[in-house]
Formats: sequence, structure tokens, C-alpha cells
Amino acid sequence: MIYVIFCFHVHQPFRLKHYTLFEIGKNLNYFDDELNERIFRRASEKCYLPMNELLLNHLRRFEGAFKISFSITGTFVEQAYLYRPEVMDSFKTIAREGGAEFIGETYYHSLSCIFDEEEFIQQVRLHSEMLEREFGIRPRTFRNTELVYSNRISDLITEIPEFRIILLEGTERILKENSPLYVRRSHNYEHILLFRHYRLSDDIAFRFSDERWPEYPLTAEKFAKWVADLSLSEREGRNLYLLLYVDYETFGEHQWKETGIFEFMKKLPDFLFKNKHISFAWPSDVLETLNYEPEVLSVPFPVSWADTERDLSAWLSNPLQWNAMKTYFEILKKVKEKRKMELMETARKLSSSDLYYYMCIKYFADGDVHKYFSPYERPEDAYIYFMHVLTDLEKRIEEE
Amino acid sequence: MKVLMLTWEFPPKITGGLGLACYGIVKALLKKGIEIDLLLPVKEEVYFPLRKEEDADLLPIASPGGEMVHEGIKRKVIKWLEEVPSAYKNRRLELKERIGSERISIDKMLNDLLQILHDGMLFDDVREWTIDAIEIAKHLEFDIIHAHDWLAYPAGMIIKRLSQKPLVTHVHATEFDRAGGPGERRIHDIEYMGLQLADRIVCVSHHTAREITEKYLVDPSKIRVVHNAFLIERIKEKRRLFKEPTVVFVGRITLQKGPDYFIEIARKVLEKTKNVRFVMAGRGDMERMVMERVASWGLGTKFLFSGFLSREEVAKLFSTADIFVMPSVSEPFGIAALEAMSMGAIAIVAKNSGVAEITKYPYKVDFWDIDKMAEIIIDLINNPEKMEELSKKSMEEASSLKWENQVEKLISVYSELISR
Repeated sequence: MIYVIFCFHVHQPFRLKHYTLFEIGKNLNYFDDELNERIFRRASEKCYLPMNELLLNHLRRFEGAFKISFSITGTFVEQAYLYRPEVMDSFKTIAREGGAEFIGETYYHSLSCIFDEEEFIQQVRLHSEMLEREFGIRPRTFRNTELVYSNRISDLITEIPEFRIILLEGTERILKENSPLYVRRSHNYEHILLFRHYRLSDDIAFRFSDERWPEYPLTAEKFAKWVADLSLSEREGRNLYLLLYVDYETFGEHQWKETGIFEFMKKLPDFLFKNKHISFAWPSDVLETLNYEPEVLSVPFPVSWADTERDLSAWLSNPLQWNAMKTYFEILKKVKEKRKMELMETARKLSSSDLYYYMCIKYFADGDVHKYFSPYERPEDAYIYFMHVLTDLEKRIEEE
Repeated sequence: MKVLMLTWEFPPKITGGLGLACYGIVKALLKKGIEIDLLLPVKEEVYFPLRKEEDADLLPIASPGGEMVHEGIKRKVIKWLEEVPSAYKNRRLELKERIGSERISIDKMLNDLLQILHDGMLFDDVREWTIDAIEIAKHLEFDIIHAHDWLAYPAGMIIKRLSQKPLVTHVHATEFDRAGGPGERRIHDIEYMGLQLADRIVCVSHHTAREITEKYLVDPSKIRVVHNAFLIERIKEKRRLFKEPTVVFVGRITLQKGPDYFIEIARKVLEKTKNVRFVMAGRGDMERMVMERVASWGLGTKFLFSGFLSREEVAKLFSTADIFVMPSVSEPFGIAALEAMSMGAIAIVAKNSGVAEITKYPYKVDFWDIDKMAEIIIDLINNPEKMEELSKKSMEEASSLKWENQVEKLISVYSELISR
């Protein structure tokens, strides 16, 4: 059997405004509310609302045979309530219908695991509480921000025993020539590791509308055949797990409606169901369907799903990012020490990995992706404004 | 007396000291009853007849925030000048022949100049302006031509030949200063020609005077030194941004201004005390390099960059500053130091800067002497009373250096030439 596991990454950060040197000590409003609202509302119209409706139709039509999962961040939920509450209603409807698994992660989509492990666990707990409050769900699957994973992540996550499965990038850096379709066990035997199939995921997320791609145009029929073909090499009847993990904004935002992305998703289940060896699953279904003993996998260094390096370089490859993140977590510690709880929420919003991603100075193809997602002209500007904000925050902590 | 004045920068269109200095000069000359027709690189074919002091503030150039005119050019550093003087001597002779004698027709000279001015955003702009300025000048009456820096020399030279009026060229900086050594060959050529053809050369410092004598073989008897002053619009209140003493760098982040020395100083000071903040303001081709280096030292929020600042914001930054550091590798004058002092900041300036020649209170240090500058800053931080006293004295000194006194020297240059 091949299990198709769709996971949608649903996230919006609180972007910073152009906070000048002279605002330090005078302005506690760090965020570009107008920009954040504009981006959220645009994405709602183009992606969240129509795509949720499409998925809801599938859920109702296939009565439990169609399954999807979401990783929704806390900052996304906050912005939905602020800017477009209908989006929350529609996610809640999907949750009520029982068609979706909701996955645990850090509330703020942060890289706290690298600088502050205590904060990391706190943010994961905050996120679980949010899922329970909003959707009535306690997550059993964990995925770290940007699929950052190493042995240490599994060790840390054992503190929250509900988590049985961790999602990570199926990169050759850790799998070597082995297929990402077979799950593994973490080095400590605590978790099942489920791998994102980056080639098929990116066929949808990045290459779908690329006319220079030899496979263009990608049809649901063609994709379903590719999925079916995956089983050809499996001779011992082991179940295969195909994790298709993409940004939710792929549908309607990165790939515009005009590219036919919605039509593709509309037709895909029908083509997949034509093959009786293919069915949909949630990540946590792995626990019940697993019919072999997974091999252990040790990941001593962090991997992620970003850029061609699949490492931390999108957020931590240059000194600007490093100084910003290091300084941020030092200041966050001070917020806690001085028990400035009124500053906590604002402070934590600054942990979102996006803010450091905007400071990335990389060129070639990846640089283009960074630029597409960044609200700033230059990575230097992202750094300058971020550091002004940190300076203000630091000042406020020291005030009595 | 009426002066035809040519400058590339004037408020509100300003990128650096040149515009500030021209503004001060123009205002003070007007006050002394000198009439000025001002030619600026504007899109329209216009000139600005300035008759009263207030006229200097009424220029209708809409350029809020100021444009970074110089940022657009990527200068090729040409090696041919490195073996000065022998390699350059022949070249200079060749150039001298091209401009030196009355036998060369004005058309030929203009042609030669325009040929130099091509290929490159800034060069094309200068070319266009040169042609416009010459056309306008044909319709104007004046007693003397005053051209500021190389951008205005081509127009100045041709207008001198056409009008038969004396030409004063004003050296605020040379290409040697900007490039930190030999720079763009075409700019060197224009500077050389402009200085050779000028009847008088005004330098902003003795240092600059020596430099053009040595490097462009200018006849020293043509040179007059007139130091800059600073025009204080209004004394502003000191306002703090940080409770710690604040040390600032303001200027283009380029080799000439020594930003790399400034960050090293900051690092040294921060090894000794955390009771300090550093702010670096400006843009330039070394910005990313400098920023990355500072960040790699993990100085946290102790060292901040401001991003681009408008004129008003620069003034605001000075008013929050306790110490201004100007470790320029080359600084013909350094008017920013006077501006900073007028706002009560203590200046630490490069020994070889023009401003060091006429001031008493700034610390004067070799631009490369990081240890010394760090030591001075630490000493000031540890002695708040000393800092307060020096701040007051700096403010007084800056306001005592008035353009009114300096332009007297300019006027005598003019008179000397007119009566000749």
C-alpha cells in the first residue's frame, strides 16, 4: 500500500515595520500592521478560503477516505482572528468534520531549539494548548519550524509524551541513497520519523507552473501515475508513506489560480483512488499501519527543508542573522528573569524565523526565493530595523 | 560684484560636505552684498539669480531626503597612476598642450572635454549639465566664475574661454581623496585641466593645497586656502536616545571615510566597558562588509546602524551624540565635524583632516591609530565632567568659526582677479 499523506504548512509572521533609530524608547508598536493585514487578507481571498472549501468538499464527498493534515502556527491563528475571522471558522469546520490531523510545532514558528531549549519546549506547549483550545485536538505528530531536525530535537520532544511521530525533510544528507518512503526510528527509539518527499512535493509547490520544466504541464493523471510507480521497487509488501508537505499558499498565491493548481487538486483524489493500492493517510496513521520494523536513523547535525543546502543557512548563514538571533534570545531570557510578563507576547513574536530569513544574503536561485518572501529592499534593512526593535525592547526591560 | 557660481550640490539636494559648504559660502556672500547667479544640475534649463540672503533657502529643487548622487558610479580603479610621478608626467604634458594655449579653439577644447565625459551614469549627467550650463552662461553677465569640484570644472573652463572672465576653482576634495589613491583616470584628467586653467584655486585646507601642488603640479602662487565654517541654523536641545554615552560615525561608508577603523575602535572600547553605544550612519560600498564584521563580533545592540538618514535626521543624530569620530583616511576638510561640535558632540578627527588645521578642541589622531582613539573614548566615558566641559567648548568653538569671516578671504580673491 502507498499512503499519500498531505501536510499543509499554514503560517504568517508578524513582520516588522521600518522602525527607525529615533523611535527607540518611544514606540512599542514594532509591527507593520497595515502590511500584515494586507498580506493576510490577500492570502485569505486567493488561498485560505477557496482552498479550504475545496478540501472540505473532498472530505464530504469521500467520507473519510480523503485525509489531510495541517501545521498551523500560533501567529497565523492570531492574525486570522485580527484580520479575517472567517478563515478561522473555515479551519474549524474542517476540524469538526474530522478530516484533518493538526500537527504540533512551536507557536511562533521559531528556531528556539537552537538557542534556548527551555523556550523551545514552552513554545511547543503553547502551540499544543492553542490546538486544543481552537480545534479540540491534542497533537500526536510533531514537526519543527522549517522541518529543522537533529537527534537533539527528538530528545527534547520526549518531554511531551503525546508526540509519537516527527516529520522531517527526506534529504540525501541524512538518507543517503535510501528512499524517503520508509519511516525510521529516532536514535533514541522514542519517535517514528516520517520523511517529506521533496521531489514530488516541490513538483507541486515550485515546478507546477514552470514552463521550462520538461514535465510541464503537470496533470493530476500524470502525478497519480508517478505515485503509483513509486511502489514498483517494493517487493516485500512493506507499506510506503508518501509525505507531500507544501506551503499552503502554494494554492492560489505562489501558484496562481490561472495556473490550474485548484483544478489539479480537485481532480487528484479521483485519479489516486483509481489505484486500489493507494490511499490517503494522516501522519499519525503510520503508527497503526506500519508493517515492518523501521531502521534507526541518527541525525547528529540539523537538517531542514530550506534552500538547496537543506540546512540552517537560510536563517543562520551570515553574521547579521547570527548576531540578531543570539542577541534576541539573550534579551528574551532577560524578559523572563525580570518577569516582564506584559512584554512577553511582543517579545516572542520576534522569535519567528521569517524575520531572520529576511536578513539572508544569498544569491543565485535561493536568493530569489528569499527576495520574493521579503518585505525589505535589502537584507541589511531587515537587520537594521530588527536591531532597533531589540534595542527598544532591551530598554523597556531595564526600566523599573 | 557678481559671481557665476557652479556647483553640483546645493540644499536641498545634498550628499555631503560640498553642498553644505556651498550653502554657507553663498549665504555669507549674499549677506556681504555680492550677487550670485547659481548654476545647478537640474533638469530644466534654468539658473538661480540670488540677490538677498534669504534667496539661498528658496531653491525650488524638489528632492526630499536628498539623493545619493555619488552612489551610482562604480569606479574602476585604474593602476596607471601608481608610479607617480614619472608615468604621469608625460600624460600631464600631453594634457597641458590640449588645454594650455589659446591656440586651441574653444570648440576643440569642448570636444575634448565632452569626449572625456561619456560612458557612465555620472559622466553622462555631467556632460549634459556642462552643455546646459555653457548655454545659459552665454546669456548672463558676471565678473567672475567660481566652480566647485571637478563636476563643475568642464563648464567652468569653457565659460572662462567664452566670457574671458577669471575662473576660480574650489577644491573641496580631489579624486585622490575619494579613491584613497589613484582613482578614475577621467576625473584625474578633468581635475588636472581645471586646476591648470584656473586663475586662482581655493583649497579647503593646507593639506589639500599641498596635495594638489604635489600631485597635479599646480603653481603654488595660484593657491589660496579658505577653510570651511559651519552655518548654525539654530542651536538645538541635546536629547538623549540612550542613557549610555553615544559615539557616532556619520558619512559615506567608503574607504575614504575609514568606517573599518571606526568599528575596530568600537570593538576595543566594548572590551573595556559596556557603558556605551555606537551608531554608524550612512551608506556606501563598504556597508555590507562593515555590517557583517560588526555582527560577527556579536556586539548585540551595542553597535547599531541607522540606515539612510536625511539632513534633518543627521542633525537629530548629532544632537543625541556625545562623541563624533571621523577616522577618515583622507579628509580635505570634514565639515561634519563642525556640525557635530555645534550640537555639542566632542570630535575625534583624523590628524590630516582640514578641520584639524583650524580647530583647537577636537582630539586629533592618526586615522589608523585605533588604540589611541579607543583610549580617548574610554577616558571620556569614565570622566563625565570632562565630557561635559569639552562638549560645551566644542559647541562654542564651532559657533565661533563663521562663514562671514571666511568669505572675506574669498572676496579678496575675487577683487584681486577683477582688478588685474
